[in-house]
Amino acid sequence: MASSFKSLASGDATSTRTLLHESIPVTGSIVSGTYGGDATALGSEPHIKTYSHGMFQSVYDYPHLSSSANHIFDITAGIADSSALSSSTTSQVSKKINIYNQMAQVLMGYDETGSVRLFDEDGDIIAGGTKLKECYFVNFSRILTKDEIKKGSFEMQVMTADGFAHGPASGERLIITDFSGSDGYFVNSPAGEYGVLYATSSTDVDAVLSANRRFAVGLLFYQAGVAVLSGSIFSDAADGGILNNSKGTVTFSPAGATVTGFNTITASTNDVMADNLRNRMYNLQFNNTTELNSTIYFCRVNNSEFNYSANPTYLSTSSGGPSEIVIKDGSVGSDPHSYITTVGLYSADNELLAVAKVSEPLKKDPSNELTLRVRLDY
Amino acid sequence: MAFLDNSGDIILDAVLTDAGRRRLARGDGTFKIAKFALGDDEINYRLYTPGHASGSAYYDLEILQTPVLEAFTNQTSQMHHRLVTLSRNDFLYLPILELFETTGTTRDSTTNAFLVAVNATTETTSGISTLAGVVYGENTDSTNSTTIRVDQGVDANGNLAVAQLTGDLLETQYQVQMDNRFGTLASANGSAARVSFVDEDNMATYFVSQGSPIVSLITDLTSAGSSINGRRGTRLDLRIKASLNLNGSDTLFTRLGGTSTVATNSVKHIDSVVKVTGVTTGYSIDIPVRYIKI
Repeated sequence: MASSFKSLASGDATSTRTLLHESIPVTGSIVSGTYGGDATALGSEPHIKTYSHGMFQSVYDYPHLSSSANHIFDITAGIADSSALSSSTTSQVSKKINIYNQMAQVLMGYDETGSVRLFDEDGDIIAGGTKLKECYFVNFSRILTKDEIKKGSFEMQVMTADGFAHGPASGERLIITDFSGSDGYFVNSPAGEYGVLYATSSTDVDAVLSANRRFAVGLLFYQAGVAVLSGSIFSDAADGGILNNSKGTVTFSPAGATVTGFNTITASTNDVMADNLRNRMYNLQFNNTTELNSTIYFCRVNNSEFNYSANPTYLSTSSGGPSEIVIKDGSVGSDPHSYITTVGLYSADNELLAVAKVSEPLKKDPSNELTLRVRLDY
Repeated sequence: MAFLDNSGDIILDAVLTDAGRRRLARGDGTFKIAKFALGDDEINYRLYTPGHASGSAYYDLEILQTPVLEAFTNQTSQMHHRLVTLSRNDFLYLPILELFETTGTTRDSTTNAFLVAVNATTETTSGISTLAGVVYGENTDSTNSTTIRVDQGVDANGNLAVAQLTGDLLETQYQVQMDNRFGTLASANGSAARVSFVDEDNMATYFVSQGSPIVSLITDLTSAGSSINGRRGTRLDLRIKASLNLNGSDTLFTRLGGTSTVATNSVKHIDSVVKVTGVTTGYSIDIPVRYIKI
């Protein structure tokens, strides 16, 4: 029986799941410095989008009014209602508390009394322990994180040398990683899996950090694509932070403020706080993950199948009549053959649902058989 | 001992067509891949040069060097020509589809297309009403209407005696595709065919089988009985019912068409194509049609 279709049997399709990873490097100069430079005040750079509500700031990889710009991440800061800073905060206090609560209720959920859980420093919620009450939030765009941040791949470097402004990068940096994320993440969040962010120093540890060890300085929510950074990374031990007292607490803008480090949140807007973090960001990189679900269809072409073609050029216009097969050259005994360039996947009612192409024509004749593996990704 | 060539183990990435996406989005389980077909749209078999002076490796060298285009999503623009499975390897001839133009089934001699008069006014306009090649788009059962006739068979230019085509090569079912905005498929007695599906490009697909009013066996084996000079298979007799959009409005004519003169009458027109494909052998023919309106 002549046919131009072949039915797929139940064993001719199989499903697979593949995780694809991309490396996402974000240099600090893109975040702060490339656009605008010293001549432009922080927050006024063309790739920074601020909002009249002032609750967060968006960072783009190009001036955001351009259609070529991609949204990289948002930065905001928040304080818990129970934070020691809440009573002394005079700028946007309710917004900062609202931001913290919003992020906490989404990322940490509620306790048994219905109260919003605070961010836990080590992820061990049941044991209690130290809570992160003054935080930066870096919400990565889905264009970067795709389905999730790859566990164990996150690294952010922030500069801690005092008095930093636009210009050469400081050698004194904190390296914040989720180094244990690949095997030590938590699953007790309503927003998926998360790991603890730890800080070490890029230089002699004792010179920057208060002790030679890793400090838990935040949480990284892999699926949500949110990094929660403790404000302690910019404060010295005397101010409740992790920096060595000899280095002092980092100076934030506005210069000359009576408080420094993250504590400037008491008098600064969230836009200014976001500027301060951007200005201190040296480097950021992680690998994203895309979960690819595929179905592979095994299109089995037996030796006796698909050796003829309905291509109009398959038949001649010569004296042999419009029905004569060109490649047989008038010889009945010659084997027919054809050339495959396309595989079409059809529904039962012959509607073309998917198409795959080969890179070069494949010759098909009665002496060969082919199994074309056609993958359809979802 | 050389390594075996393992480059043949390849995975082809498929692209969902518009129809595939639509079915997937519908979420009603209609996205189900049940079969596959192979195509060779880019291949020009007339580049095959048997008897090449440099040897048999050169016979199809030009064909094998044919660059292949990427897949894209418009399903009506791909897989025009499918490879065919036949039970034997000794076929020297394959069946084709041809227009059989005789009294009542000829094209308009000026445009070489079938003219579909989209309303009764156009059908009865002097000069058009009796013009050969005019398909009546409103009164599709009219005896004055031209019928589009397509014959299937093996035309060997007299190398095969005229006889009935039987066996593998006899086509018993056809796929007819036409623009649903302009018209729908009808039989020569005016009855409407049931549309199988209409894609988002407004291409309607019909499947018609032997035994329906549209498909019949060619039984006339006289020389005047068919355009097929050889083994004669089946015949399609079809007409086109003009859409209400064309019948009652000029909008589509203004947007997609032009104006011309038919038998001294100025008409608005839209050019289109009706594609007929044999479901079994995959052979197809594009029939030019021009929708006209006074």
